[in-house]
Amino acid sequence: MSFDLFEKEVRILERAKALLESGAIADKDIAKEFAKLHKGYAKLFKTTRRLVKMSDRNEEKLNKLAHSLDEKSTMLEQLSVKLSKYLSPQVYESIFSGAQDASLTTKRKKLTVFFSDIKDFTRTTEDLQPEDLTSLLNMYFTEMSFIALKHGATIDKFIGDAMLMFFGDPKSRGVEEDARCCLRMAVEMQRRMVNLKKIWLEQGYDKPFQMRIGINTGYCNVGNFGSEDRMDYTIIGGEVNLAARLESNCDPGGVLMSYETYALVKDLVETEEREPIRVKGIRREVKPFSVLNVNDGSGVEGNVFRQSCDGFSLFLNQDKLSGQDREKVRQELIDALDSLG
Amino acid sequence: MKNIKIEATDRSPELDLNFEMNSFCIKGESYPEDVTEFYGGILKSMENYFSNLEGETIDFCFELIYFNSSSAKVFMSLFDMLEEAAEEGNTVNVEWVYVSDDDNMEELGEEFGEDLEAANFIMKPVE
Repeated sequence: MSFDLFEKEVRILERAKALLESGAIADKDIAKEFAKLHKGYAKLFKTTRRLVKMSDRNEEKLNKLAHSLDEKSTMLEQLSVKLSKYLSPQVYESIFSGAQDASLTTKRKKLTVFFSDIKDFTRTTEDLQPEDLTSLLNMYFTEMSFIALKHGATIDKFIGDAMLMFFGDPKSRGVEEDARCCLRMAVEMQRRMVNLKKIWLEQGYDKPFQMRIGINTGYCNVGNFGSEDRMDYTIIGGEVNLAARLESNCDPGGVLMSYETYALVKDLVETEEREPIRVKGIRREVKPFSVLNVNDGSGVEGNVFRQSCDGFSLFLNQDKLSGQDREKVRQELIDALDSLG
Repeated sequence: MKNIKIEATDRSPELDLNFEMNSFCIKGESYPEDVTEFYGGILKSMENYFSNLEGETIDFCFELIYFNSSSAKVFMSLFDMLEEAAEEGNTVNVEWVYVSDDDNMEELGEEFGEDLEAANFIMKPVE
């Protein structure tokens, strides 16, 4: 059964035409006027048909355009996901949200810089086949990047076996919190390295990687460096060199930080002060602090309790308490609790 | 009658209505927010003007990229006016300019031109 969208209009026109042709309208003037109305209606009907057709055609065209835009947008989305892997997520986000321009601009900002490498990398890996080395390095970088992103680091670059990261740009949680995040990240990385060492030994790598970490806080130039055609979002400055220098002075498996970072995180860590070092481009003598232990924020690390705030400070290492002292401490804690009411 | 020249916007076409030369042109995209406001006064002026013309030559050019249904209704009214002016003894030349690979605009031009009998209608593809 065929369907005509304008069946009703067609029928009206046919009826009007039949009426005209039948001669049923006796009055000639009325018949003439009726013929005019019939013609006008036919014209309006034609206009309506044309407009409806045109509207449908425009809609079809717009739908096609929308579909093609959808395809392009999906393609761009996939492409940007691929490109994002070459950038730190924060940098990617600030570029794509429009907060940052892709132009050669830099700014001076107080950042906490993280620098790491693998001790004796060349010697450790000289016996490895390239495929094994690639797999080992990729596993190492994947694990470390995961931890870095978890703590909010801006991963600047991987340089061979080294990693350069920083906290404080494009997003900052404040200079102090940036430094603390960096320290927590560094400690978690070294803890993960202990587990990875076991895995690598089990896999047959007899010389597992040992990571060294240097951390420094100071003013750096951060932004886009390079040329208008090819730029890198990175940091430069003496403070960056200092982080690298601290790293090279660090014990394998350790974390070495400058006094500037230490001052911002000291309530979180137990440290050991090392011999001062001098770094080209930094006029002051640098006092390094090696991290011995860190409070993860929970206040509990095995047998160590640590908590501090205004008017309260607690450090309790049960492993170092003798039986007699233990009882004394216990009593003092009870008294302290009672005094709180 | 005073000539009218209106620059194109994102949504409305360029209007170049030269009453002295009887040369008229609508060019660009047409989907104005308020069709009545944009075309209403002009349609009235043209209707008055064309109804008083005798033995003149009128050149009207439509050079459109896109137009919505409301604009189409306006153009149909213009075609009616032009056809009537031609029936009144004026020489009316209507030119429909379209981009050669724009099938949609070509088809619309052909349909609009169907109604013109007294007026001359020319389809003009351009690159």
